[in-house]
Amino acid sequence: MALLDIQNLQLAMRSYEGETQILHGIDLTIERGEIWGMVGETGSGKSLTGLSVSRLIPSPPGRYLAGTIDFAGKDLLKASDRDMRALRGRHIGMIFQDPTTNLNPVFRIGTQLVDVALHAGHNDPSILGLSKDASRGAMKKAARKTAIEMLDKVGIPNASARIDDYPHQFSGGMRQRVLIAMAMVGKPDLLIADEPTTALDVSVQAQILRLIHDLVAERNIGVLLITHNLGVVAQICTHVAVMYRGRILESGPVRDVLKHPTHVYTQALLDSVPTVHTKRGELRGLSGLSQEASA
Amino acid sequence: MSLEIENVTKIFGAPRSGIIEPGQGFTALDNVSLSVKKGGSFGLVGESGSGKTTLTKCILRLESLTAGTICFEGQDIHALSKADMRRLRARMQIVFQDPYASLNPRMTIHDIVAEPLIIHRDTVPMTAKQRTERVVELLVQVGLGTEHLFRYPHEFSGGQRQRIGIARALAVNPELLILDEPTSALDVSVQAEVLNLLHRLQDELGLTYFFISHDLGVIRYVCDEVAVIYRGKVVEQGSVEEIFDHPKDEYTRMLLNAMPDPDPDLSPFHR
Repeated sequence: MALLDIQNLQLAMRSYEGETQILHGIDLTIERGEIWGMVGETGSGKSLTGLSVSRLIPSPPGRYLAGTIDFAGKDLLKASDRDMRALRGRHIGMIFQDPTTNLNPVFRIGTQLVDVALHAGHNDPSILGLSKDASRGAMKKAARKTAIEMLDKVGIPNASARIDDYPHQFSGGMRQRVLIAMAMVGKPDLLIADEPTTALDVSVQAQILRLIHDLVAERNIGVLLITHNLGVVAQICTHVAVMYRGRILESGPVRDVLKHPTHVYTQALLDSVPTVHTKRGELRGLSGLSQEASA
Repeated sequence: MSLEIENVTKIFGAPRSGIIEPGQGFTALDNVSLSVKKGGSFGLVGESGSGKTTLTKCILRLESLTAGTICFEGQDIHALSKADMRRLRARMQIVFQDPYASLNPRMTIHDIVAEPLIIHRDTVPMTAKQRTERVVELLVQVGLGTEHLFRYPHEFSGGQRQRIGIARALAVNPELLILDEPTSALDVSVQAEVLNLLHRLQDELGLTYFFISHDLGVIRYVCDEVAVIYRGKVVEQGSVEEIFDHPKDEYTRMLLNAMPDPDPDLSPFHR
C-alpha cells in the first residue's frame, strides 16, 4: 500500500473578492523510498499541496471541495485535530523554507529540539528508547540524548556542546540542518520539505541534498520535496510532478519527465534554467504562460 | 568609463576586547583588485559572507575603505568631495536584490522612478512634465506601460517589481549598473525574462554591468568576465569561458560541482 495517496484534491480559498479555487484536482502517490519533487512557479499551488498533507491550512479561509489524502490507511482530511497533532512531528515531518524565521531566537536550539522529541515521545515512548511507564525525568533525559544524536547525525560538529547555543550562533546552513534534525527526531515515515535549500548557497545546498538523500536511503522514508529549482529536482528526486495553476500537468520518474517532457510548459521551464552550458541569447522565458499564471 | 579596484581592504571594527585593547576586527575584503572594462559585464561570484555586497557598498562609497583605491574613470572616488561624489553617483546606479523590500510601498511607480531625477536635478535638469515623460519612456524600455504609472508596488509581481527597480536605476542615464543578485528572489521563468531584458538594455544603452550572484548559471549567461571571491579574497578571475571550462582554483571547482544541473544523468545521486 502506498505511503501517501492524494486523490482528486480540490482546495478553495476565501478572500474579500469571493472564493477562488486554488487546487483543481491533485493526484499524487508516494511510496516509501521515493523522493517526489514538486516543481512550479510561485502561486502554482505546490506549497498548499504540501501544507494540505499536514493539514496546516486553516479553515476558513481554506475549504476542501473534494478529494482524499490517504496516509497509512487514514483519510487525513477527515482526521480530528487530536489525531493530526499525533501525526505531525511523529509520522509526518516538515521542513520549511527559511531557516532564520523558523527557529525561535530566544530559546536554545536544545530546548526547541527536546520539545519536539518530547512531543513525539509522549505519543510513542519507543522513539526515545523507553517503555510506556517511564518517568518524566527519564523522558526528559532520553529526549535530550535523542536530540544530541540527531544533531550529530545531520552533521553538526560537537553536537553535545552546540545544543545549548542559540539560533543566532549558527550559520544559515547549520540552522537548516537543525530544522532537518527537528523534522527527523520523531522518526517520521513521510518528510515534507518546502523549498529547503532556496535560502542557501549552492555549496551548502549540495550538503543538505546529500543529507536528505542519505536519510531516505537509511530509513526508507518517503519525501515530498517542493521547490522551483529544476536543478535540485534533477539531482535528488526519483519522481517529479510539474504543477501549473493548481493542476499537475505532468508527473512520473524524473528521467522520463525531465529528459522527454511531453508538455510544452515543462519544456519551457527547462529552457528557462541557465546552466553552465547556456550561451548568451539561448535562454527563453515563458512570457505568455507566466503572465497568465500571475494574473 | 572604466572601474579600477586596486588592493582594496575593508576591515570592520570589532568591539574592544578589554578596556583599552582594540578588538580583532573582521576582514571583509582582503587585498581585492579587479578591473571592469567599459561596455562589458563583470560577474562576481561567491557564497554568502564572502564580501560581495561589501565590495558594492565600497564602490558606491556607502562604506569607507581601510586600504586601497577605487578609481572611476581615473579619479579615486574615495578622495572626492561630497558634492563631486553626488554628481558621480548619477553615473553609477544599483539594482537591489529583493524587489519586495527595495520599493517604497507608499510611493507610486511614477514617484519611485522619478525620485533619482529629482535627487540628481543638477546633473539632469528637468521640469516636472519632462520627468513624467522620461518615466514613461523608462517604463516602456523595461517592458511596462503607461497604465502602470500611478499604481503602487504591491500591485505588481516580483518580476515586474524588479523591472521597476531597473527602470529607477536607469533613470539618470548611468554608465555603470551594479546588479546585486537581481534575480535571486525570482522564479526561474521570470528570471529568464529579466536576464534577457538586461541583455537587451545593454545592447541598446551601452551599459557596463557589475553583476553579483551566487548562481553560476546566471553569471555564465550574463557576464563575459568573472571573479570568484571567497572569504574576502579573489581566488580566481578571468574570462567566463576560462573560469567555467578550465577552473584552476579548488574552490571554483567545488562551486561548479555543487551547481545542480537540470539533467538527471549528471546527478551524483542517480547511479
